[in-house]
Amino acid sequence: MSASFTVDVCSRCGYAAYPPRILCPQCAGTEWRRRLADSGVVEEITVRRPVFKRRQLPLGNWLDQSETRLGSVRTDVGPVVIARVPDDAEPGDRVRLHAQASTAIALPGQVAEAT
Amino acid sequence: MTDAVAIVGAAESAYVRHPSVERRTETFLAEAVVGALADAGIHRDDVDGLGVASFSLAPDHAIDLAWRMGMRLRWVMEDTNGGASGINMLQHAIRAIEAGDAEVVVLCSGDRMEKREFHLMTDRYNRVSRDFLAPLPLNGPNALFSFLTQRHARANGLGREDYACVPIAQRAWAGRNPGAVYRAPMTLEEYMESVPIAPPLTRYDCVPIVSGGDAFVVTTRERAARLAAPAVGIRTIRALFNHDQQDGDALTTGFAEIADDLWASAGARPEDIDAAYVYDDYPVMVLCQAVDLGLVDDGDLPRFLHRRLVEDGWPMNTSGGQLSAGQAGAAGGMHGLVEAVTQLRGRAGERQVGGAELALVTGYGMVVYKHGACHNAAVLERLG
Repeated sequence: MSASFTVDVCSRCGYAAYPPRILCPQCAGTEWRRRLADSGVVEEITVRRPVFKRRQLPLGNWLDQSETRLGSVRTDVGPVVIARVPDDAEPGDRVRLHAQASTAIALPGQVAEAT
Repeated sequence: MTDAVAIVGAAESAYVRHPSVERRTETFLAEAVVGALADAGIHRDDVDGLGVASFSLAPDHAIDLAWRMGMRLRWVMEDTNGGASGINMLQHAIRAIEAGDAEVVVLCSGDRMEKREFHLMTDRYNRVSRDFLAPLPLNGPNALFSFLTQRHARANGLGREDYACVPIAQRAWAGRNPGAVYRAPMTLEEYMESVPIAPPLTRYDCVPIVSGGDAFVVTTRERAARLAAPAVGIRTIRALFNHDQQDGDALTTGFAEIADDLWASAGARPEDIDAAYVYDDYPVMVLCQAVDLGLVDDGDLPRFLHRRLVEDGWPMNTSGGQLSAGQAGAAGGMHGLVEAVTQLRGRAGERQVGGAELALVTGYGMVVYKHGACHNAAVLERLG
């Protein structure tokens, strides 16, 4: 199951940060609050081939690596995030963003209009 | 910038793919250090300062490397700025020598870079890579620079046949560098048909991963004057870090902000440069830097690419650059410096640039999330 994808917003000046910062680059504030960043527009797409096809895991097992479709997604709240994107996603597409562990994953389709 | 300091020797270890197990990071670093001291004509025991940049030296540090090489030191440093580490260490070493903290400083960079070291480096490059990029999985910066190339191509109306000019022109130089891993001339057809890595980037847009090391020797002008071979002076170094906080599109680099000050402090203009060493992790970054530093007349990129680089063979990245010679981890941040020093001292053999007196070297790197955060540049001159 996926969780909500959020970015940090500076409590003082509203700067939206992803990945998280400690001091706000804009106003040097130190207080942040979470803000939902569940939608955005795909700006660029690539299919990354692994530099090495197989890699050794710490316990000596080998992991076969495969191609990954990645995108640069401009969230509606500001920050551009690097995310997994669906196989049929193309630049210009609107996507929904979810959190997958600590990273962003984009799913097809538009979120319900913000209220 | 400094009348008191000079570079008096430089060397590169062999750059190799798939080194034997006994050739470790410290082996390559020591090979480069020994080579640079021999090039300078300076004995190991005269060295009193050492700086090192390496992604894979751990658990060792600079002091361990010094001890392994039998060095007694008055000054030691370690630098972690990857593609900007060579110029960054030089900036520190100049001040140390001027202040009398050290007299003979050797700076070295390098890595054994095989599958294991590569994944350790890319997956734990920093906290952001470990937590927000590696798990995608990202597996190194190729995809990020694919995005950057796509933005650049859109903004400048360029196609793959234009970006091809950078590796093709550099490959022509690499044919005259016995140390380069790619030496055969490359045709446009070969480039266009090469294996996709992160489209539009293909194999020849990405640096070949190698193991190796680079080193150079910095000392006082007094000592330099007593040495037989010509020395290299440092007219200026300028740097800018985190210029856009990773919020920009990266098509404008930090060099745009420091270019005027760089040239003014060098007492030179871009057209005075006899050879340029522009950090070439990807063709697109060569172009972004070249424009921001004023190397591209009228900002006309097609003319710069097709005429200046390919047809005229303008001396840029005359070793073949990292795109042909290879990237040995942190040595990528010193490769251009070593080639510039070699050229300015007239020791570049078959690829020697006639009348090379003034050279520009840039450093770029450390992707903190989407693109490089570190920018620095040096203007070097042949002395005497």
